[in-house]
Amino acid sequence: MNFDTRKYVLITFIVLVGVIYTLRLFYMQVIDDSWTLRAQEIAEKRKEITPPRGVLFDRNGKKIVANRTYYNLMVVEANMKNFDTSEFAELIGWTNQQVRERFEAIREGEGKYYNKHTGKTTSNYQKIRAYPFIKEMTLEEVARIAPHLENFPGFYEEVTSMRSYPFANGANIVGYLSEVNREEVEEDRFYKPGNNIGRAGIERFYEQELRGRKGIKYIVTSALNNAIESYAGGKYDTTAKQGPQLTLGVDIILQAYGEKLLKGKRGCIVAIEPSTGEILSLVSAPSYDPNLLIGKRNISTNYSQLLLDPSKPLYPRPLAAEYPPGSTFKLLNSLIGLQEGVITPESGFPCNKSVVGCHDHTSAGNLADAIKHSCNPYYYAVMRRIIQQNKKKSAFEDANVGLSLWTKYMHSFGLGKKLNTDITGLRSGLIPDPAYYDKWYGHHRWAFSTIRSISIGQGEVMLTPLHMANVAATIANRGWYITPHFVKSIGKSGPAKEYKWRHYAMVDKKHYNVIIEGMRRVVHVSGGTGKRAKLKDIIVCGKTGTVQNPHGDDHSVFIAFAPMYQPKIAIVVFIENAKGGGGLWAAPTAGLMIEKYLTRKVMEKDREKTIMEAQFTYRE
Amino acid sequence: MRQGESLVAHFDWVLFAVYMVLLIMGVSTVYSTAYNEDHPFLFDFSQKYGKQMIWLVVSLFLGLMVFLIDSDIYRKFCLPIYFFTLIMLVIVLFMPPVNGARAWLGIGSLGIQPAEFSKIGTGLLLARFISNVNVKQQTIQTVLIANAIILVPMVLILLQPDAGTFVVFTSFLFVMYREGITYDPLILKVVNIIPGVKFKQTWVGSHFIPILFVVVFLSLVTLLMSNEKISFDFLPGIILSGYWSVILSLTIFALFLSFVFRFIASKRDRNRASLIVLIGYVLASFLSTVVNFGFQGLAEHQKDRIELFLGLKEDPDGEDYNRNRAMAAVGSGGMFGKGYNNASVASVESNHVPESETDFIFCPFAEEWGFFGTLILVSLYMFMLLRIVMIAERQRSAFNRVYAYMVAMILFYHFAINIGMNIGFAPVIGIPLPFFSYGGSSMMSFSMMMFILLKLDSQRRDVLQ
Repeated sequence: MNFDTRKYVLITFIVLVGVIYTLRLFYMQVIDDSWTLRAQEIAEKRKEITPPRGVLFDRNGKKIVANRTYYNLMVVEANMKNFDTSEFAELIGWTNQQVRERFEAIREGEGKYYNKHTGKTTSNYQKIRAYPFIKEMTLEEVARIAPHLENFPGFYEEVTSMRSYPFANGANIVGYLSEVNREEVEEDRFYKPGNNIGRAGIERFYEQELRGRKGIKYIVTSALNNAIESYAGGKYDTTAKQGPQLTLGVDIILQAYGEKLLKGKRGCIVAIEPSTGEILSLVSAPSYDPNLLIGKRNISTNYSQLLLDPSKPLYPRPLAAEYPPGSTFKLLNSLIGLQEGVITPESGFPCNKSVVGCHDHTSAGNLADAIKHSCNPYYYAVMRRIIQQNKKKSAFEDANVGLSLWTKYMHSFGLGKKLNTDITGLRSGLIPDPAYYDKWYGHHRWAFSTIRSISIGQGEVMLTPLHMANVAATIANRGWYITPHFVKSIGKSGPAKEYKWRHYAMVDKKHYNVIIEGMRRVVHVSGGTGKRAKLKDIIVCGKTGTVQNPHGDDHSVFIAFAPMYQPKIAIVVFIENAKGGGGLWAAPTAGLMIEKYLTRKVMEKDREKTIMEAQFTYRE
Repeated sequence: MRQGESLVAHFDWVLFAVYMVLLIMGVSTVYSTAYNEDHPFLFDFSQKYGKQMIWLVVSLFLGLMVFLIDSDIYRKFCLPIYFFTLIMLVIVLFMPPVNGARAWLGIGSLGIQPAEFSKIGTGLLLARFISNVNVKQQTIQTVLIANAIILVPMVLILLQPDAGTFVVFTSFLFVMYREGITYDPLILKVVNIIPGVKFKQTWVGSHFIPILFVVVFLSLVTLLMSNEKISFDFLPGIILSGYWSVILSLTIFALFLSFVFRFIASKRDRNRASLIVLIGYVLASFLSTVVNFGFQGLAEHQKDRIELFLGLKEDPDGEDYNRNRAMAAVGSGGMFGKGYNNASVASVESNHVPESETDFIFCPFAEEWGFFGTLILVSLYMFMLLRIVMIAERQRSAFNRVYAYMVAMILFYHFAINIGMNIGFAPVIGIPLPFFSYGGSSMMSFSMMMFILLKLDSQRRDVLQ
């Protein structure tokens, strides 16, 4: 028997192993990336340096959102030696039990991570890693502990940066920060568990800018987790860069004053600089002290309390609350009537209370007086002419055409849609269009008489206070507005492009003068509904509104701008459930705000006192 | 030696060159891996690379000594050499254990591992024995002696314990297979006890290597399938366990084979073929059953170990720590690697891969040089192994041929297992990568092995059949 051929069996074995190993190596090293990632996980540590967030200034250069240094007390269990629980507990002012429980909580809870692929949550606690034992201590707290830490090896303090709000105002504007959740960590690689993210307001809207750029240091670490060297000589390292400072159009002094005026009430004030569209103040009452929501410790105690508060302090009313605009809406209907040519400044209509209720006043012989008296039957007539222009034979078809036209006008004032303001939580309000009524009543099943309540700003029409303020600004500008916005500049750059653009409403400039004259009369001529907004040296143009409220007392609303020529401020005040109409509460509040903004001091002390002390009852 | 011919007239310079290249690559990898900034000098003897340089020089010196001795001496003195290595294996069992194994003879870091040298002693004696066997007239005695020569050192090595070297000794089976040693006398003795059975030969006894391969392959498949559930789209509601699907596959395969034989085989062969297929099928099913139920019957932690090895279970930071770290180091090398002295996972300093300068030396090499480097390394070993097989086949004497095959197969085992455990293909048993790993014993014993081969080969013409 010859066994020479058996050498081929051996050669086949050798060659087979060589080929398989080569293919395997090619797959592992060149094609499959997972081992590279695994190696990074094992040996390279990305040390992230989170820069402090960008700070916020008001229009006058006052810092309204700042950063403050806080301290975490860190612990590395592997470095602990001769730990005396009771001594340590005494130092930090805890009980022995609390210290033991905290250690237990760290071992159980910290370092827990969710594995996307296996769907399992694994605790990755390691004795050689540092974990925060106490988070977010103030300088005073840490100063008491720090000198004694050398007696407790394994413990050390670490600096972190958190927000602080020098003015306890504008919480609904600036928003707050809180720790990122799991989805956010998975969605955006910027965030690591424990990082903060803007949760509301400017902090949320400008998150990308404010968070800045993280510095990343790649370090090669050993199996014992100590750093050996910087990876690839620091080739991939980046330095941390703080986010740019944001300058807001907000006047924090005015904001604080507005919040003081609305104390104890529910409502809002929105003030805009008409020429720029910058929001000067945006008061939401009731509100809260933004300092209540700094850091995990504060949020865990205060957030749920704020959330459960029936007066909804976290709810940004000026942006999100949709109210019927009431009589302030008559200004717009006047403008549309003039533009359409269905009325003239000299048009007069009798105050016929049989069609719609009104208060006692002499019939308006012209448009300006109609505004001054806020005559409901007058506007019923105006609106009828706008809607039923007799362009079609059928009254239904005619109303359809008329309302389409009216809707277009309203949209051109920025109503019925979300304004492009740089904040989150905006709502669009409602300007009903033919399709809306078709849905309710059926196609060609409705006419002016069905929808007449929109003529006086009741019924289906809904605006947010921000919309109303924008209307005031548009009238102040005689026909255009710039989208209301908060941020004047990011770093050194000016306002964003979209906040330089003038939006022209569909009403010509020439029609505004008579309306503005009417608004002047509202405040400055005896018998005007807004006389309590009157100021000594400043001509205020305004319009009151009393919004019927099926759930309680009427809301009081007033929109205004001042001065009459070259207006500096356009404002809306909306006070919920204030008995006595727009003239009684909202108008004087607006007057005080205008005075405060334009003169920096308030002469009308009695008026101020009355407003501040007023309290209204609210049904929950 | 013939008159007038120089000592190196028939010296295989090619094999020697490959050997030298591997040595140099090995030392440079040890230098990079164990590099210490405070001791940058290669010949700093306080460092591992300094010591490796000493071993290298000593190995080459030993190699020269070996080469200068007449090759006849290995044939003549193979028995004393064998017993000398056995005595060393016995003595080492009375030494204090290092890392849980009594493998070291000597003091501290200057010790040697007798197990490494016993491969040479065993190889020489086995070569001598097989070269004298008349393969056509094998008796139970020849089979038993051949196996005893391997088994005695294997048992002693297992007592240390040193699982790696123990496994390497099975490489001698390949050589026995190549030379036609058959287990038939042993098997016939057992089989013919059955009344009425009168076999003259069994195919199993002489083709034990292919059969071993089939057994290992089938066992692995059975284990891999053990926890599977198979369902078919066209047979809804029927779910096969892994074990039954293996049996089903075997049945289909057996039916297919007998079907094929019906067509191609003559009438007389047809019955024989059917019988062989039937016996093969029964044996394979039996093996599969034993493996499956044996595995299911294992204790939970033993099952875990096997599942871990087969990649059915993951425990990257626990049981599978070493292999996981090693594979991460190798896999992160990429196409061209991270650059010399830039291993971040496998360097001694970072210590993620344990034993990265000895048993896991392939890690830092693969991490630093990437696929470019590993391709070269694997190719070099392949070339070396095939060159040795070629050398073996050109020998006139059976002794030389058997010895050369032994060298080839031992190196092959070391290569396959060592690199295999770095890429998840072999269990983690600590055996060095020849000529590459840090360590004096392995370098000296492999060098001596190599130089004995070179010497035998250079004198191949002096030997008559």
